[in-house]
Amino acid sequence: MQSFRYARPTTVEEAIALLEEHGDQAKLLAGGTDLVIELRNRWRQPKVVIDLKRIEELRPSIREEDGRLVITAGTVMAEISADERVRRHFPALVEAADTVGSIQIRNRATLAGNICNGSPAADTAPPLLVYGALMVIAGASGRRRVPIDEFIVGPGKVALGAAELVTAIELPIPEQPVAAAYTRMTRRHGTDLASITLCCGVDATGTTRLAYGSVGPRALLVIDETGVLANPAATDEEKAPVLKRMFSAASPSPTSMRAGPEYRVAMLPVLGARALRTAIERLSSTK
Amino acid sequence: MKAQGGVGAGAHRLGGIGRVTGAQLYVADIPVADALHVKLVTLDCAHARILSIDSAAAEQVPGVVFVMKPEDLPQPIPRFGPQYQDRPVMADGEVKYHGEVVAAVAAETKDAAEEGARLVKVEYEALPAIFTLEAALAPGAELVQDPSIRRPGPLTGTNVLSEYHFGWGDVDAVADEADIIVEHTYDWASQTQFAIEPHGCIAAPDSDGIIVWSSIQHPYQLQKTLAKVLGMPMSKVRVFAPDPGGAFGGKQHPKLEPLVAFMALRADRPVRLILTLEEAFQAVRSAGARMTVRTGINSDGTLVFQDFVDDFLVGAYGDTGDRISAKASFLSAGPYRTPAVRITSRAVLSHTTPCHPMRGFGIPQVTWARESNLDEAALAAGVDRLEIRLKNLVKYGEEHVPGDTPADGDWAQTVRKAASEIGWGTPLPKGQGRGIAIGVKSGPTTGLSYSTVRFLGDGSVLVFSGTSDMGQGARTIYAQIAAEELGVPLAHVSVVMGDTSVVPYDQQTSASRSSVLMGNAVLNACRDIQRKLRARVAEMEGIDEKSITLDRGVMRLPDREEPIPAVLKKVLGPMGGEVVGNGEARKDALPEHPLGGTALFFEFNCTAVDVAVDTETGETTILRHVTVGDVGLALNPVQVTGQDEGAAVMGVGLSLMEHLIWDGEGRTRNLGAIDYRIPTSKDLPLELVSFSVENADGPGPYGVKGISEGSLLCTAPAVAAAVRDACGAVIRDLPLSPERVWRAIQEQS
Amino acid sequence: MNDTLPIEVTVNGRLRSFDVAVNHTLLEVLRDDLGLTGTKECCVVGECGACTVLVDGTPMNSCLMLAVEVDGSEVMTVEGLGLEGKLDRLQEAFLDEGAAQCGFCIPGQLMSAHALLAQNPHPTVEDVNEALAGNLCRCAGYQQIRAAVLAAVQGGGR
Repeated sequence: MQSFRYARPTTVEEAIALLEEHGDQAKLLAGGTDLVIELRNRWRQPKVVIDLKRIEELRPSIREEDGRLVITAGTVMAEISADERVRRHFPALVEAADTVGSIQIRNRATLAGNICNGSPAADTAPPLLVYGALMVIAGASGRRRVPIDEFIVGPGKVALGAAELVTAIELPIPEQPVAAAYTRMTRRHGTDLASITLCCGVDATGTTRLAYGSVGPRALLVIDETGVLANPAATDEEKAPVLKRMFSAASPSPTSMRAGPEYRVAMLPVLGARALRTAIERLSSTK
Repeated sequence: MKAQGGVGAGAHRLGGIGRVTGAQLYVADIPVADALHVKLVTLDCAHARILSIDSAAAEQVPGVVFVMKPEDLPQPIPRFGPQYQDRPVMADGEVKYHGEVVAAVAAETKDAAEEGARLVKVEYEALPAIFTLEAALAPGAELVQDPSIRRPGPLTGTNVLSEYHFGWGDVDAVADEADIIVEHTYDWASQTQFAIEPHGCIAAPDSDGIIVWSSIQHPYQLQKTLAKVLGMPMSKVRVFAPDPGGAFGGKQHPKLEPLVAFMALRADRPVRLILTLEEAFQAVRSAGARMTVRTGINSDGTLVFQDFVDDFLVGAYGDTGDRISAKASFLSAGPYRTPAVRITSRAVLSHTTPCHPMRGFGIPQVTWARESNLDEAALAAGVDRLEIRLKNLVKYGEEHVPGDTPADGDWAQTVRKAASEIGWGTPLPKGQGRGIAIGVKSGPTTGLSYSTVRFLGDGSVLVFSGTSDMGQGARTIYAQIAAEELGVPLAHVSVVMGDTSVVPYDQQTSASRSSVLMGNAVLNACRDIQRKLRARVAEMEGIDEKSITLDRGVMRLPDREEPIPAVLKKVLGPMGGEVVGNGEARKDALPEHPLGGTALFFEFNCTAVDVAVDTETGETTILRHVTVGDVGLALNPVQVTGQDEGAAVMGVGLSLMEHLIWDGEGRTRNLGAIDYRIPTSKDLPLELVSFSVENADGPGPYGVKGISEGSLLCTAPAVAAAVRDACGAVIRDLPLSPERVWRAIQEQS
Repeated sequence: MNDTLPIEVTVNGRLRSFDVAVNHTLLEVLRDDLGLTGTKECCVVGECGACTVLVDGTPMNSCLMLAVEVDGSEVMTVEGLGLEGKLDRLQEAFLDEGAAQCGFCIPGQLMSAHALLAQNPHPTVEDVNEALAGNLCRCAGYQQIRAAVLAAVQGGGR
C-alpha cells in the first residue's frame, strides 16, 4: 500500500481538527477490517490515516444512560455480542454481530465502522434499524444525534460531514416488550458475506418492523402497523401479501457474484416469514 | 505387524514438529541474503495485443533496479511446457489470459517493486476473448493459438488442442438392444486448487550455474525445464524444493520459475517472487468440462453401452490439458462391465488461465457425468441405485477397459462397506435423501523413482527421496519403511528430500504414485543393504549366503537370529563406516498404448451421503458422509485418514460452492478468498467417516496402493443424487449452490 | 518516502523497540522485520486466518492491522507457544492426532485454538468449530484439527 501520515489523536476534538485540515484526504481507522483492505488494494489512497483507538471517549464501552444503551464507537463485535444487556434487550443485534466474519474479525471490527463503511450488506444495519438506533456524531459545531435510518444513505455513503465522526451508537431500551430476530442468506454455512440480511421485530402493540439489506443501495426499514404480520393467529396466506408489499422496494444487483436477483427476490419473503415466526415466538416467551 | 513406528502404525509425522512450532521453512520463509523482490505487471484484460511497454517512470522509483521486459529475454522468447512447449516465459506480443505476465519489476524492497509495477505503462489493444466451449468450438471461431505454434495436423486450424477416441465394441450396433437409453449433458465448473500457500520461487546465480528454490511438486522436471530454457547442463541447475504448503496438483510444473531465473542471471543477484493469492488463482486452475453421456441398460439394470463426448476447457496454453482430458476420459465408463463403449474426448483452448492438474486429474469431472447418468438410468428402470452398481461392477482381476490393467481390488467389498455404513435401504425422514456413487482413477502409467539409503555406523538411517511432501506425509512413510526393513526405531531415521544435487531422480509427485513407486525404491534400497550385509556375514562366518535370510529388521542364520542393527555393527567392525543401498522402481512406457502405459494401480472409492434440503431456500446440509477407499494397506493410518477426510471435504467444496466466475470479457471476477468459497470448519458434513479396505493387494511395499485422490472422485454425484432423492431437484451443472438447487426445485414444479 | 514511527511492542514475551513503516501491516513486520516467519501470508484480506496472532491475548488477523497499531501491546505468535524448546499440550495434541498435514495453516489454527482454551477450558465441539471457523485448511478437512483441540483440553475429554 502507499504510504501516508499516521495520526493518533487522543481527543475527539483533535480528530475533528485533523479532519477539518485534510478533508477527504483523511480516513478514519478504527478496527481496520475494511480500511486496511482498501489501502492494500489502493481503492483508497488517503494522505492521512487517523487512528481513533487512543481517544479515551471512544474506547470500547457499553453503558446505560437515560434509558439508552450507549455503545462507544470503538466497541467491537465480540464485546457487543458478549454483553449481558445487549443479549437481553437486543438479541437480534447479537445474532447479527456474530455473523460479521470470523472470530478474528469480530475481535477487531467495530459496530460504528460496520455502519459507517456503508456497505448495503452490513449485517448490523437491519437490527439497528429495527431497534431504532441513533448515531451520535461529533463535529466542529458540536454533537448531534441522527436516527440510523437517516444516517445510511447509499453504497459507501453515510450522512457524515467532512469533519465529523461517529462517537457512539445509542439503542433506546424498549419500555414495552419487543422481540426481534436476525437472519441472512449466504453461499455456505461458514463465514460469508450475505446476499440477504434481514431483521424482523414485533412489539406488544402488534407493530412489525422489518429491515433488510444487500438487495439494493442501502438497507431498508419498512413498518407494518396493520397488525396482521405480528398476529400469531393469522395464517401464512393472510401474511403473504403483506410481506410481499414490505419487500417491494428491493432492487438487487443483476451482476452480483453472490446470488442472482431472481433468487434474492424469492428469498426475501421466505427469510422474512422465518424471522417473523421467530420474533413472534420470542415475544410470547417474554410475556 | 504393527511395529512401534513401523509400517501400519500411526506414527507422528516427520516434519510435524516444524509444522507446529512455525520453524518449518516454506519457500516464502527462506532467508536469502541480498535478494531482489519481484512484482509482476499484468493487464486487466483476458486477451490483448501489447503495443508498447514504457518502464521509464518505474525505473525512476528509488529502489527499483530494473524492469524485465520481453525484449530482455533471448529472442525468439523461449517457450516451455510439460506436453507442448507453447508457453512463453513472458507474454509474447499478446496477452492470452487474464493474468499473463507482461513485465516484471525487480527492486530492493517489496514496496519499491509494488510502486514500480504500478508505474509501468502498457499500451494495449483489447481483443475479443474466447472463454466458453461454445465460443471456442463455433465454426469460424478465432484461433486462440496461432497455427505456427501448433503441432501440424488436422486440428491446427481449430481451437481443439487434442482429440482422442477410445472405446471398444460397437455402440451403434448394440444400441437397439438396450431397453432403456438415457442421455444428458453434465457440466463441471472450472475451479482452483487454492492451496493455502501461494506459489513462490527464488533464483540465485551460482558461479556458472543457478540455484532455484520453488514450491514445485516436480523438482526434477523443473530442473530439466530450466536447464533447457537457460541453455545450461542439468548438472549446473540445482533445485531446492521445500515442502509446499499444499499443492493439490497446482504446483506440479514450472510456470514463473524460468522468468525469475532469467531475472536472477540479469541481476547477478538472487531474485525472489512470491505470488499473492489472487495471482495464484490467475496462474493455475482446474479444467472445467462438459460431458454428454448416453447410457443404455437392460430393464434388469445390466449395462449395454455407454457413449461419451467429453469436452474439457483448457486454457491459453496446452500445459497438461491434453493429458488430463485423455487420461480422465479413458476411464469415462468406470469400473463396470460394459459390452460397448465409445468415448470422444477433446481438450479445447481458450483465453483463460492454463489449466493445471488438480487432485483427481479430470476423473471427478467424468465421474460426475457417468454416475449421475447411471442413476437416471436406474431410476428409469426402477432398479435400486446400489444394486445397479454392484450388478455391473467388475470383479477382482476382471478388465473394465479391455486389454488394460484389470481391477486390482475386491471393489464390491468397498461398495458394500459404504452402503452398510450409510444404512442403504433404511428409511429417511421427509426432506432428506441419500446418494451413492463410485469413482475409479488410474495411478501413474509410467514412472521412475530412485532412492538411496545410508545405514550409518551407529545404526541410524538416512533415506534420500525426491518426492515432494506437500502434506500427504511421504517423508513419514519412507521412514517407516526403512525402520521396518532395517529394524531401527523410527526416531533414528531421517529423510532427505528436495535437493536435486543430493537426492537421486524421482520423476514426479503426482497421480498418488509415491507410496508405490518411491516406496518400492526405498524398499529396494533397504533390500540392497540387506543383501550387502548378508554377503559380508556369509563371508565372515564362512557359510553359504543362501542359508541367511533377512526380513523386516531381523537376520536369520542357521543357528540364531540377530537384529539387523547388531549385524551392521559387526560387519563394519572397528573401522566403522556405513552401508549404502540403492533402489529403483520403474514402470515402463508402452508407446502403443493410448495413454502411453497401463495403470500401475487404481484408486477406487465409494462415497455415500445423506443430505437434508431446505426446499424453500435450496440450502443443502450433508448429514452423514461416508467415504471408503480400496487402499491395499494403510502404511500410516492416521495420515490416510487425514488425506481421505481432507479429500472428502475438498469434494464437498467442489460440489457445493466452488467455481471460477468469468465476466463478459473473460476476466476472472472472483480472484482471492472473499468470493471464491471453500469449506470452513462450519461447512463439514455433520458426520464424516472414512474407511480403508485393506487386502494388501497393491503393487507397493507390503501391498500398498496409492491414496489421496480417492475421496473426492465421486463426491459430486453422490451429493447430487442425495439432493434429488430428498426433493426431486435434478442438477447437472455444478456447483450445487443454494440458488441452483432452488432453481432446480422451481423448474421441477 | 515511507513514514516510519518508533513502536514498543512485546513479542512472545520479549520487549522490542524499533521503527516500523506506517504502511506495513503487522504481518509484514513480524515476518520481514523480526524474522518471525511462523505466521503465514495467504489471502491478505482477513478471510483465511493463516496470519492469526494474539494481540493482548485476543486472536486477530495480522494482515488487517498496521504494525503501528500494536504499539504498547503484547503480541504472541506461534513461536511463542511452548516453553524453552518444549511443545505445549496443544502442539503435542496436534502431533498425536495428525492434525498438521502440509502445515501452512497450522500456526494460525494453533493461535486460534490457544486463545479458545485460554478463555474456555472446556469447549464443546460447536465452540471449537466456531473458534476455528476463521482458519481455512485445504488439506485436513478439519476433523483431526478439531480432535486435537479437544484432546488438549485440561484433564482430557472429547
